Amino acid sequence: MKQSERDFANPSPGSYLLTVSLAQQAYRLSAFCRSLMSPEQRAAFKADPDRVMRAAGLTDAEIGLVRARDWLGMVRYGVNHFLVFRIAGAMGDGLAATGAKMRGETLEEFARTRRVWEER
Amino acid sequence: MARIIAGLGSPHAPAVGAAVDRRDEESAYWKPLFDGYKPMRAWLERAKPDVIILFTNDHFTSFFLDVIPTFAIAVAEQHEIADEGWGKRALPEVPGHTELAWHLSRQLVDLGFDLAVCHRLPLDHGSLSPLSALMPHVTQWPVRVVPILVNVLHFPIPTAARCFQLGRAIRDCVESFEDDLKVAVLGTGGLSHQLAGERFGHINPQWDAEFLDRLENDPESLAALTHQELIERGGTESVEVIMWLCMRGALSRRVRRVHRNYYHATLTGYAQVIFEDIENLPEG
Repeated sequence: MKQSERDFANPSPGSYLLTVSLAQQAYRLSAFCRSLMSPEQRAAFKADPDRVMRAAGLTDAEIGLVRARDWLGMVRYGVNHFLVFRIAGAMGDGLAATGAKMRGETLEEFARTRRVWEER
Repeated sequence: MARIIAGLGSPHAPAVGAAVDRRDEESAYWKPLFDGYKPMRAWLERAKPDVIILFTNDHFTSFFLDVIPTFAIAVAEQHEIADEGWGKRALPEVPGHTELAWHLSRQLVDLGFDLAVCHRLPLDHGSLSPLSALMPHVTQWPVRVVPILVNVLHFPIPTAARCFQLGRAIRDCVESFEDDLKVAVLGTGGLSHQLAGERFGHINPQWDAEFLDRLENDPESLAALTHQELIERGGTESVEVIMWLCMRGALSRRVRRVHRNYYHATLTGYAQVIFEDIENLPEG
């Protein structure tokens, strides 16, 4: 990836955009996240995540991101956050919990930064 | 002749659709938003548009990295309800308008916009949250919908200026459609929010207020903004306000604002507007 694309993909501190090279790098992991739209695939993933991720051809590093719930790492790697939300949701992290982790905060810490709060 | 009678703006977050389904409109959390839908529901019942041209985006539901159209139009007679992975919402299929969609897709090519044509495009929350909040709990939708999808997730995405020009072109196309249709245009998404990165949760209500002022009175100045400028002000996901510029571009140069609401919620600056087209004022 050229430096110009790297710069484009990080338009301001703590902000990430999905570009062509990033999406290409993370294609298989992205496709795996999307496959969790299927209830059968979700159930299989919940029952034995490692087996299902290996079967999908994910690399050790990709499986490591998921196991660590490293949602920020997944975004930086090139998975769009709407795809991250699908796998985070299957692992029990809702939208706010996923975001709090990306900010390096607990859910309670994140809630205190909000003007209004509804748990979901 | 078909004519555009108004432009509407609505958020499209999944939480909005979920609140509709739970009938949670009066809770302390949701009332400030749903109070903003009441005048819009009344307006729709009074003005009775025949068609809504809906500017929205897909969220890796019906499109994936395999094919990412910059602009796309859904031409089906019935639009399916997508299952995004949490189960399908109990909504009736949304009626489309194939003849108008054909007319738009063909005429837009002549005007320099080549839209990808989708014969089957199950709609996700980007479409269904606003439609269900505007027309809640219907057994049959009272309006036909032509979705126009804009890529706002995988870069490069179209510029604000291009979206504004698309709106302009759509206005011309609507006015050359021979049937006597009342058309409303609906811009969805936004306003300020960011859903990824260490800056997750960024909201900028001052910028959102300025955006709404300028959208009404000086939309060209918004169309001149770069994605970088929009992101710095409103967060990465706020670039989707380019879909509000599609809506505004389709309206008369001056508009009559009949509604505006804003709610600074947990993750998003939610806004709603109705701008009536002063060249095509609705009767009554």
